[in-house]
Amino acid sequence: MLEYAWLIPVIPFVAFLLIALLPKRTLFWEDGAVYGIAGAFGALALSVIVIWQVLMGETLTVDAPRTTWIIVGDFQIEFGIWIDQLTAIMLLVVSVVGTLVVIYSGGYMHEEGEGRRRYYAEIMLFISVMYGLVISDNYLQMFIFWELVGLCSYLLIGFWYTKPSAASAAKRAFIVTRVGDIMFMAGIIILFKYVGNLDFAQLFSESTAHQVPSDMMTLATALIFGGAIGKSAQFPLHEWLPDAMEGPTTVSALIHAATMVKAGVYLIARSYPLLVQAPDSLLLVAVIGGVTALIAATVALAANDIKRVLAYSTISQLGYMILGLGAGGYLVIHANSPGGYAAATFHLMNHAFFKALLFLCAGSVIHAIGTNDMRLMGGLGRKMRITSTTMLVGAIAIAGIPPFSGFWSKDEVLAAVYHAGEFDPAFFLLWAMGIATAFMTAFYMFRMWFMTFAGEPRSDYHAHESPKIMTVPLMILAGLAMVSGFALFIGEGFKGFMERSIEELVPGTAHETVGDVAVGIFTDPLTYVSLVLAVVGILLAYRMYYVPGFDRSVFAKGFSGKLQRALENRWYISKFYDDFAIRVVYAFSLVADLFDRYVIDGLVNGFAYLGGRGGNVLRRAQDGNVQRYTSLIIVGICLLLILVLYVLPWGGW
Amino acid sequence: MIPIEYWLVFSSLLFVIGAYGVMTRRNAIVVLMCIEIMLNAANINLVMFSSYHTVLHGTADPSGQAFALFSIAIAAAEVAVGLAIILSVYRRYQTIDVDKINILRW
Repeated sequence: MLEYAWLIPVIPFVAFLLIALLPKRTLFWEDGAVYGIAGAFGALALSVIVIWQVLMGETLTVDAPRTTWIIVGDFQIEFGIWIDQLTAIMLLVVSVVGTLVVIYSGGYMHEEGEGRRRYYAEIMLFISVMYGLVISDNYLQMFIFWELVGLCSYLLIGFWYTKPSAASAAKRAFIVTRVGDIMFMAGIIILFKYVGNLDFAQLFSESTAHQVPSDMMTLATALIFGGAIGKSAQFPLHEWLPDAMEGPTTVSALIHAATMVKAGVYLIARSYPLLVQAPDSLLLVAVIGGVTALIAATVALAANDIKRVLAYSTISQLGYMILGLGAGGYLVIHANSPGGYAAATFHLMNHAFFKALLFLCAGSVIHAIGTNDMRLMGGLGRKMRITSTTMLVGAIAIAGIPPFSGFWSKDEVLAAVYHAGEFDPAFFLLWAMGIATAFMTAFYMFRMWFMTFAGEPRSDYHAHESPKIMTVPLMILAGLAMVSGFALFIGEGFKGFMERSIEELVPGTAHETVGDVAVGIFTDPLTYVSLVLAVVGILLAYRMYYVPGFDRSVFAKGFSGKLQRALENRWYISKFYDDFAIRVVYAFSLVADLFDRYVIDGLVNGFAYLGGRGGNVLRRAQDGNVQRYTSLIIVGICLLLILVLYVLPWGGW
Repeated sequence: MIPIEYWLVFSSLLFVIGAYGVMTRRNAIVVLMCIEIMLNAANINLVMFSSYHTVLHGTADPSGQAFALFSIAIAAAEVAVGLAIILSVYRRYQTIDVDKINILRW
C-alpha cells in the first residue's frame, strides 16, 4: 500500500487543475471550495492509511519504486518516494492542518467573491507541492518541490495583490527565502560533486562519509541549513515571515503550521545522517535556532498586531525546533541518543496543531471585527465564546502548561539542549536562552489573549461568533492541541517511533520505555524551572493586561522605553534591511551609474573625442601650405638619413 | 686643386640656404630664386664630381658636365613657367605672398 503514496500529492493537484480549469458554473459552492475540500480529504484519507502502516512498522525507503525522469548519457535522474517515520509525521501535519484550513476557508473567504477561485486553486497547489516535498526521495526532487512551495507562498501572501503592502510582502517572502534556496542549491551541488548522486538512499549510506571530505561535508550541510534558515524564517532571514501576514489569515495558518516554514525544519531533520558527520554545522544550527527563538520572542512582547504576535511566536517556536535538532545531533554523536531529534520533530507536530489553531482563531477574530490591531479589541470573550475558549487552549498549549501538548515537546527540546551541554558548554547558554524564551512565550501569548478577549471593548465594533464551518475546525484543532502531547506515551511512545527513522545513526541505543520517558520528565528539576517560569509569565500578563489600573506607561520612559521602542521596531532588523537596500544598494547603484556614465560612456565618448581632437591636430599637417610640406619632407629626409647612416650602423645592423 | 671636401661643403651650404628660403620665405619670387640656388648647388656637385673623375679613376667622364648643362636648361624653362604663373597669380590676386594664395586650402 505504501508504494501508492505518490498519489497523495496527485489528489490535491488534480483538485487544483479542476478548480483552475473548470467552467465557472461547474465550480458549485464557494467557487471551488467543494473540489478543494474533496481533494484535501482524499489526500488526508491516503495519508492516514500511510501513517497507519508506518505506525505498524512498515517503511518504504531504499527499495521504494522509482521512475526515471531524465537520462543524459550514463547519468539519470530518478523520482521516487521515501516513506519513513519522519515522512509520516509531516504527512500527518500537512493533511490534518491542510484539510482543516481548507474547510475553514469556506467560511473565512466567503466575501472574496471572484478571488475565491484563485484562492482555492493556489491553496490546493500549495498543499500538493508540500506533500510532494515530504515524500521526495532525493534532494533534487525535494528542491523542485521546495521552490514550488516558495512560489505558492508568494502567490498566496500576495493574494490581495492590488494592495501595495501585500504585493511587497509577497516579493519579500519570495526574495528572502530565495537567498536561502541558493544556499540549499549550493549545498546539494557540493554533495553531487563528491557523491555523483542526490538520492537519499545513496547519500545516507555509510560510504558517503568516505567520499566527501569532512570540511566539504561541513560546508555542504551548513549551506543546506542555509536553505532552512530562509524557508523556516530563522535569524537573520526571519523578517519575511511577519510581513507575510499580509495574506489571508488562512494562508498564514497554513504557512506557519503545516507547509512553508515546516519545510525548513523537515529539511534539517531529513538531512540528519549528513549533519551528524559535521558537528560544526550542528553547532551553527543550534546557535541560529537559539538566537532566533530569543529574538523573535522579545519582539512578540511588544507587537500590537494579533497576527504579528503569532508570526513572531512561530519564528520563536521554529527556533526551538532548530535548536532541538542542533542539540539532538550532538546527542546522536556523543550519547548515541535520538532524544533531541525526537523532541524537535515532536515539537514540530504539536506546534502545527496549536499554531494552526491560534491562527485560525485570530482569523475568526479578524473576520468578526475587521481589524488586526489588538489595541482596538478587548472584551471579545463574551461575544465569541468558542473562538475565545479554543484560543485559550492554544495559548495554554504554546505557553507550556501541562497536560497540553506544548509542555511535553518544549520540555523535551529544552532537556535535550541541556544534555547536549555535557558535550559542548555552549549549549548551556542556548538552554538559558530557551528558558528565557519559554517565559516570554507564556507572557506574550497571554498578553495577546487578555488584550483580545478580556476586559472592556476599546473600540466600537459589532462582533459575532463565526459560522460553524469556521468554529468546527477550531474545536478539532483545540482537541488536537490538548491531546497531541500524549503521543509521547502511546504505544512505544513518540520517541521510540521517531528513533526508528534514524536507527542506523544510533545503533544499539538503549530503548527508552514510555515509563522511563514519563519518569524522566517529572523527576527532572529543569522541567519545574520552565513550568514555573511559564506560570510566572502568565501571571505577569494577567497582572499587566487583565487587572485594571496597571499603569504600563512606566515602561515607556528611560531605558525600558528605549527597549520598548526597539522591540516595537523589531530590533530594527527590518529597518536595517530596508536601510541596507536603500542606502547600500542605492549607493552601489549610484556608483554603477557613475561608472556607466563616466567610464563606459566616457570610454566611448572619449574615443570619439580623441578622434575628433586628433583629427583637428593632424589636419594642420595637411593644410595645403606647400612650404610646410617641404619643411616636413626635409625634416623627414634628414631623420631618415640620420637613421640609416648613424643609428642603424651603431645598433649593429 | 681645391680639395673635394671644400666643394662638398660649399654645395651643401648653397643647398641648405636654398631649402631654408623655400621653407620660410613668403614671396613667391624669392621662393623661386631659392629653388634656383638649390638647383645650382646640385649643378656644382655634378660639375665637381665630373672634374674629379680623372683624378680618381684616371679617365675623363664628361657626363657630369652634360647633366649640368641639361639641368641649367631645365632650370631656365622652369623659371620661365614659374614666373609666368607668378605673374598671372599677381594679376588675379594682386599679391604674390604664398600664404595669401590659399583658395584651394581647407
